[in-house]
Amino acid sequence: MSSAPWSLHLLGEVLSAFSVESPTALRDVVSRVAEAVDAEITAILRHDAFTLCTGLTREEQPALLALVEGRAATLTLPAGRTYHLFWASLGDQGLLVVGRALEAYNLEERALLRGMGRSIQLSTQVLDAVRAAQQAHQAETVAKEAAIRQATIDYLTGLPNRRMLLRHLDQLLSGDQPPDQQLVVLFIDLDRFKQINDIHGHKTGDRVLHTVATHLRAITRPPDVVGRISGDEFLMVLMLKNPSDAEQLAARILKHLETALPNQGFGFRMSASIGIALADANDTPEMLLDNADMAMYRAKQQGRNGFARYERSMRERLEERHQVQQELRQGLTNHQLRAWLQPIVSAAHGGVVGFEALARWQHPRRGTLTPDQFLGVAEEGGLLQQIDAAVLRDACTGISRWDTTLTGVAPRLSVNLSATSLADPCLLDQLEQVLQQTGFPAGQLFVEITETTLVEEIPSAYDNISALERLGIRLAIDDFGTGYSSLSYLKRFPVGIIKIDRSFVDGLGRSSEDEIIVETVIQMACSLGLEVVAEGVESREQEAWLRTCGCHYLQGYLYGTPADLHTSEIAYRESLNQQLGLVLPA
Amino acid sequence: MTTATEPTRWVRVGTSSNQHPEHAVAEALAPVLELGQPKLAVLFCSPAQDLTQVSRLVKAAIGENEVIGCSSAGELIRDHALSGGLVIWALGGEGFKVTTGFGLGTPEQGLRNAAAQAASCIEQLERRQHTLLFLLADGLCGDQMEVVRGAYDVCGAQVPLMGGCAGDDMALQSTRQIHAGALLTHAVVAAAITSDAPLAIGIAHGWTPLSEPMLVTDSQGTTVVSLDDRPALDVYLDAYDAPAEVREDPAAFFRFAHTRPIGIARRNRTEIRYVYSADYDKRTVTVFAEVPQGAMAYLMQGSCISVLEATAEVCALAEQSLEGHPACGFMVLECVARKSLLDQEGLLDASLRLPTVKEGISVGGFYTYGEIARTDGAGGLHNQTVVALAVA
Repeated sequence: MSSAPWSLHLLGEVLSAFSVESPTALRDVVSRVAEAVDAEITAILRHDAFTLCTGLTREEQPALLALVEGRAATLTLPAGRTYHLFWASLGDQGLLVVGRALEAYNLEERALLRGMGRSIQLSTQVLDAVRAAQQAHQAETVAKEAAIRQATIDYLTGLPNRRMLLRHLDQLLSGDQPPDQQLVVLFIDLDRFKQINDIHGHKTGDRVLHTVATHLRAITRPPDVVGRISGDEFLMVLMLKNPSDAEQLAARILKHLETALPNQGFGFRMSASIGIALADANDTPEMLLDNADMAMYRAKQQGRNGFARYERSMRERLEERHQVQQELRQGLTNHQLRAWLQPIVSAAHGGVVGFEALARWQHPRRGTLTPDQFLGVAEEGGLLQQIDAAVLRDACTGISRWDTTLTGVAPRLSVNLSATSLADPCLLDQLEQVLQQTGFPAGQLFVEITETTLVEEIPSAYDNISALERLGIRLAIDDFGTGYSSLSYLKRFPVGIIKIDRSFVDGLGRSSEDEIIVETVIQMACSLGLEVVAEGVESREQEAWLRTCGCHYLQGYLYGTPADLHTSEIAYRESLNQQLGLVLPA
Repeated sequence: MTTATEPTRWVRVGTSSNQHPEHAVAEALAPVLELGQPKLAVLFCSPAQDLTQVSRLVKAAIGENEVIGCSSAGELIRDHALSGGLVIWALGGEGFKVTTGFGLGTPEQGLRNAAAQAASCIEQLERRQHTLLFLLADGLCGDQMEVVRGAYDVCGAQVPLMGGCAGDDMALQSTRQIHAGALLTHAVVAAAITSDAPLAIGIAHGWTPLSEPMLVTDSQGTTVVSLDDRPALDVYLDAYDAPAEVREDPAAFFRFAHTRPIGIARRNRTEIRYVYSADYDKRTVTVFAEVPQGAMAYLMQGSCISVLEATAEVCALAEQSLEGHPACGFMVLECVARKSLLDQEGLLDASLRLPTVKEGISVGGFYTYGEIARTDGAGGLHNQTVVALAVA
């Protein structure tokens, strides 16, 4: 049996050490090199610093670093032990230094180690290249996964997106469905979500969506799937043994959503409208989605915060609504949205002192439409702001053309602003422009908003309200008493008028509670120096009661229904003449 | 009780084969406590004993002093081996300082970090000329070589490493390590010892090459895939002219391989690797510690005589390094495979004959699943070897 010289296999073992499967495990590589060359100290240095060092403690390492420049042949440690060193260049990869105590590296070993230095350098370069390739591959994989994820996962909620949901539906519809199960989809649309974005900002809107997604995910049980289709629309895909379970689930979702936002610290609540559709044999994923969408619109029509199941007749109605929305957009462009005016009279002398502007749609085929016939569609289509602006401009333009010789000033005008209009940062510019272009006096203009709008604490709306005073425009609180009862805003904002809601006026003479409320509101307003308008006055008894209580102004059918500008101008002139007749005898 | 004639520095070994933990501990501790409280007590305990109780009772008995230990595959005391017993090896007296530590690993991650963590106990000691790190590791948790590497990362070249891998009476299921009163698994426990007088290590194995040197052309950690580009299992079986049953029966292979290790050529020594299983489909063999790809290897052979000779000489080798100081005690850690070889030949009773060790000097140890001894060079993990620690 022959004995192979130690040095002959040394190179092979060291090179093998550098060809380990994990190129990042440099520590293991260095350990193997050390064991192969029987080195007690092994270090790789680069730019006069250790990339790695074994065999020396942290305290001992500086002693070796101090020898780099001169590449000394021995290292003597403070404890007294001396190591024979050999330095091998790794080219631009630095230096390899090995050391052992008992015996210096002989000529043969040194020659091998020197040759090995170049090999290690090449190995290291190869490793670097492998590492770079691995990193590039990893980056590519990550990017690919991200792209797939982006294409199928909704970035905001982490739920499957529309594309993935449609693919999932396609698989379910084209596969063999269990005979005892029914494929059902729930189309969940958050009610008035656009207002949340408009009023509270998109950041809050995103948080709401995330919260809702979390709750829907918690309700969903595998293999059922929940995803986000777009905006505020979510979809649940379910396999149910009993299709009527879908209604129970919808009810459960609504119940969850009631408390979902307040529990997460939001200052408002959220409801949803849910459409339920059962898959038919011939349905495509898109058709099933459409059907659920239509059912959801039915739920919205029925007053929101509810659910409805798809029926064939819904498709026709939906098409109708789409048609109306399209016509409304055209109507806004063609100035079909007009201001009609309802008179407001002085409780003291009964004469008309102003008007509330109300929207009417002069539909080319259907005639004059009242807000209840188109506001729902307008809100869904995000058209409320445009309608507010159209009515304001029309009213100011019209009244400014009236002859004001008798009074010297235009009558008061109240215009309603929706919450979204009030939050619009461009509102003041818009108002200023209208006043400038029409010449309508700002001091005669009242902006009517509801209590609810005020207590929602929308920063941009607060800014607008506070700035109204600068323009000389005053605030009228509409439907007073029906919203939240925080009255601090009466002091904070330039409120000029409180409008008592018709529901309280209606109870005068019949409900002692309503009478107490009305009387209290009037007394409070007087104490604060505010004027009071009672809405919905329809009888002389109500008028007498209000007058006795000290109400300043009255509005209702008793004094006139809303009428177009021309009719209103005539009525105003007649009222003025009557007043002048009383004051100035002929 | 210490008297004027008793040594000021001592190593004492106590033993018991009693299966009742209280009795076993009392019996094994009695000779130790005669000389006072030990600075370090090391337990070598058969899994047949109640390890939990034993470790707690020993810790309770020696108070604040250091206790480490492990389960074994047989216990050694001077002149004979035990089975199912308890050995307590202790050192005490003047001039010793001891700290202990432990680290936990996992079968997936191995024990390198665990060993480094355990070895960190050395940082609490002021290093003196005679400093040594003693290690006991899980013998069935990954590549045993990682234990040496992890300890070496912390201690550096100047601190010798000595120790062994815990056993489980050849069940090869699970081993235990003991630190203070706690029973651990997948762990490394360590004791850093500094001494006024030398602490020396001896290594011997008695194996000689059977085959021509071969290149390890493919290996993955502890699995040897090919030797000289031939399937490792085929090379192994052919070289030893293995009988038919060894070529197809894992249990027969296990018994056969006990006494036929692989040797890895190092500059001035051969490190032994214990072969313990074969993959008949992949034609590979598996060993306890890494066989590096590219290394030069031999298939080794030995006999009862060479094994006994190695054991007999290991304490002498260690004592030679005590710089002329007399030894006050030895610890001997011997591979369990060597025990099997002697057992097969009915020579187990002769397993720990130590003719060079003077009468009255305590010797204790255990049968291991791997031995650690590093004095110079970078390696230090051995199989089928006997290592001894001599304490001056």
